[in-house]
Formats: sequence, structure tokens, C-alpha cells
Amino acid sequence: MKRMNNKLGWLFTGPYLVFTIIFFLLPLLWSFWLALTNWNLISPDIKFVGLSNFVTAITSPTIHQAFWVTYKFLLVFVPLALILSMLVAILVNRLPRFKGLFMVAFFLPYLSSGVVTSLIVKGILSYNGPISTWLRTTFGLDIDWLGSPTSALIVVSFMIAWKMSGYYGLILVSGLNSINNEIYEAAALDGVNRWQRFWKITIPMMYPSLYTVLILAIGVSFGIFTEVYQLTGGGPNGATNTWQMEIYNQAFVNLKSGYASAVALIAAVITFLSIGVLRNLIEKWGHHYGWN
Amino acid sequence: MVGTKNKPYKVALNYAITIVFLLIMIFPFIYLILNSFASWDQVDKHLIPTSYTLRSWQWLFSNSVTVAPAPWIAAFFHTFLVTTISVALMMLFAVMVAYALAKVRFRGRKLVDNFIIFQMFFPAIILLIPQFLLVTKMGMIDSFSGMILPTAVSMWAIFMYTNFFKAIPDTLIESAKLDGASDLQILFKIVIPMSKSITTVIFLFLYTERWTTLLWDMIVSKSDGTVTLNVLISQMFGPYGTYPGPMYAASVLLTLPLIVLFLLFSKNFQDGMQYTLK
Repeated sequence: MKRMNNKLGWLFTGPYLVFTIIFFLLPLLWSFWLALTNWNLISPDIKFVGLSNFVTAITSPTIHQAFWVTYKFLLVFVPLALILSMLVAILVNRLPRFKGLFMVAFFLPYLSSGVVTSLIVKGILSYNGPISTWLRTTFGLDIDWLGSPTSALIVVSFMIAWKMSGYYGLILVSGLNSINNEIYEAAALDGVNRWQRFWKITIPMMYPSLYTVLILAIGVSFGIFTEVYQLTGGGPNGATNTWQMEIYNQAFVNLKSGYASAVALIAAVITFLSIGVLRNLIEKWGHHYGWN
Repeated sequence: MVGTKNKPYKVALNYAITIVFLLIMIFPFIYLILNSFASWDQVDKHLIPTSYTLRSWQWLFSNSVTVAPAPWIAAFFHTFLVTTISVALMMLFAVMVAYALAKVRFRGRKLVDNFIIFQMFFPAIILLIPQFLLVTKMGMIDSFSGMILPTAVSMWAIFMYTNFFKAIPDTLIESAKLDGASDLQILFKIVIPMSKSITTVIFLFLYTERWTTLLWDMIVSKSDGTVTLNVLISQMFGPYGTYPGPMYAASVLLTLPLIVLFLLFSKNFQDGMQYTLK
């Protein structure tokens, strides 16, 4: 039996409550108000401009681009992350011994800072870097990795997928582990081939862990900042300009804090709705396999 | 798996494939370390540099160079300070709130519980600008407290601990109560020692995330006196474009502590992950 103890409850949650009022509720209200003004972070006079920030944002081509860029990242990053982490999980799961040791090693990319990864990628892929030089001298290929819109987006997606692969792989390994070997044995007796076994048994059986990984990866694709900030600056021509990047630039480079707040609110609503819809779709897919 | 009778050559092949794939996956780290020791005319020229020097590392520790000296070592300690204090606060507040939510009945508990979930999924980007203004107004811009306080509570840590504490039997707490233990004693002498593996997981994730934070630290820190190593590397990215060697050394300095920490706790981490994934 738990005892009713109001004093203790509020005492222990106290620090959280104070934090939430100061650093969550207050900023939240503030951002709604800011979005209705034209304040520029510096000037002492703040003018109330109604909904005009929202109108400007909704009709701005830059915002339309940020909107689409997020979905492009979603389409490239999520499958990449899934493939890499699945590869990690399957490879590790097949080993009879030292699974834990390998899992720990595969987890290391998660410990990298986006700044450091950007530094390495810039070094390796620059015009005179080892990979570009090699491609040029052996195949006559000249790829401007970060200068072309499509490849820049793919490179950034790859960096983040690499970083997350061990973490997601760990989740998938536990999914693979939960599958009873007898099911495979029964399937083998029925003459099911490898390919069918993967799609008809492995994937449906490990759905709960796939669900976790998908939701985590989708969340990540709506919050991409560091790699883009560091490596492409949102370019070339806005091809990697994510919501976070756009908000950062408007607020802290162009100093339009009112406008940036409006963009942040729009971005948040879109993110919230998109994740909700995607989550429903993934859950539908799970119902199809008989998961609730 | 089935179908594959464990023939020795097949097992060996599996290990070989896994090791090759692992080497590819951790190659960026190898590249980073090798390039931090590479001769400066070798940096970023080969996947494996051919000649080595300590010049990049000497650069980090001495200021007698042509380009304006950068306080790399100081920045490292700033990162250490900010991360350690932030994470300590996050852990402390998380266990307290989680204990209250899991083991104490009080008016408003359900509300707090739901609100934490709401905050966890709330798009934090909305708060960035007003939080920055708030920190400015409070006079905490360019200070460690400005970096630490707004990141002192982790909803995710509260959520994880609450779920774990709920699984601890109430009878255990009741009997400790009968022996005259206070709630604080129960929390720190019974509940937390029982949560070793989950604590390791939460600690490592929080520490990694805080250690490599860029955006918040970047907008709060305005001078060499507070700059963190991650932010410093980020800022020197352009100016040091022609001197990548020292940047690689600084990056090793930033990454290595996390790797050491992780390897140190890897046994507990594996146990803890098993629990969190159930």
C-alpha cells in the first residue's frame, strides 16, 4: 500500500516544478508573444505586428524549402539508419560468442560529436582529400560531395545514420533475440527459403523493436542541426536547410527573433502532426502483423 | 540461426565479415587518431598517413604559434565542468521526481506524470529563443550557470527511472519504513543501489549528449572564458581550415574521454540495456 503523502510528493518533485515554470512554461508563453512582434533582439522598441510573421513565413520560399528538406532527410536517413543498424544486429546476432563485446564496439560511433564527424567528413571528402583524389586518379570521377544538393543531403544522412547505427542495432538485437528458434526450424521443414524467412518471420516477429527504432529515427530527422550547421551551412542553395538551421539563422544571424519564433511554432506544429501521422502508419503496419 | 549448422569455417567466416564491417564502422575514429599524429603535409591526404609527428598535439598544449593561440585545454575543462554538473543535477532530480511518482501517493501526481510525457515529446525548438532571452535577462549569458541551469532536468531520465522504480516491490520500502528509515534514506540506501545498471545507462546517455551539445552552448558562451571544447572546435572549423592537424588532435581530446568512460562502464551498460529494451 502506498501512503498518501502530499508534502513528500511535492518536496521531491519541487526542483522539477520550479524548473518547468522557469525554463518551460515561461519561455513557452514568451515565444507565443514574440511571434506576434517584430523584435530584433537588440532594439528597445518592440512593435506588435499581429499575425504578419506567420503570413511572411507561410509564403516564404525558404520556409517551403525547409519543409521539403525535412521530408527528404526522412526519406534518406530513416532507411539508411535502418539498413545499417539491421546489418549490425544481424551480424552480431549470428556470432556464437563475444556478442556483448562486438555490440559495445559497434556502439562507439554514438559517442562522436557531430562537430568532429563533420571535421572528418570534410577532410576525407574535400577536393584534395583521399577519397576524391582516389576517385579522380583511378576512375576519372570528380564528385563535389558537399557542393551538389543531392549528394550533400545523402552525406549528412549517412553521417547521422552511422552515428545511430550501433544504438539502433542494440535495440534490434534484442528484437532478434526474442524470436524463438523453433519457428525457424518449423519454417525450414516447410521449405521456406532465406529471403521469405527474413520478410515473413524475422521482420514481423521483431516488429516491436523495429517500431522503437523507426520512431527514434523519425524523431531524429526532424531535429537535424549540428552536421548541417557545421558541414553545409544549410547549402548548397538551401538543399540541406532544415527547420532548426532556418530558425537558428533567422534568430541568431539575422536577429529576427519575432519572425524566428513564428517559424519555430510552425515547425513544431508540422513536426508534431507529421510524427503523429507516421506513428499511426507504423502502428497500422504492426496491426497487419497482429501486434497491438 | 537455423539451416546454418555450426560448421567451423562458417563460424569463422561470420566473425571475419563482422570484424571487417566493424573496422569500416570505426574507421572514422582510426582516421581521426592517425591524422592527429600525421605530419602536417600528410593530413587529409591519405586514408592512412605515412609519416607522423607530435606537432599537432604540441600545438594544442602550447601557445607559441603564428595563428592566435586558442585555449583548447581550458575549453576541455569547461566541457568537463559543465557536463559533470549538468548531468549530476539531471540524475539527482530524476531519482527524486521518479521516486515520488513511483512510490509516493500525492495530490497532482497523475498531472505531473502526464506533463512529463508531454514535455518529453514537446518540440524543444520553440523554447530556444525565449530561453536564450531569459538567460540573457537573468544575467547568465556567457556563464557556466547559463549553460547548466536550463539543462538541469531531463524528462527522459525521469521517465526511465519512474518505470524502473515502479518495478521495485512496495513491501521492500514498507519494511524499511518500519525499521525507521526516512524516505531520503530509502531512496539513497535501498532504491538507488538496486538501480545500478539502469543508472549506468541513463548516466552514459546523458553524459554523451551533454558533452557533445553544440547549439545551446554555442549561443550562451560568448568568450574564451566559458567556451566548451565542442563549441571551440566548431568555431575554429573555418579559421583552422588550413591547419586541420590541431583540429584532429582537439577532436581526439573531445572524443576520447567518452570512449574511456563508456568502456569503463560497458559491463553495467550491457546489463542495463537488456533491462531498458524489455
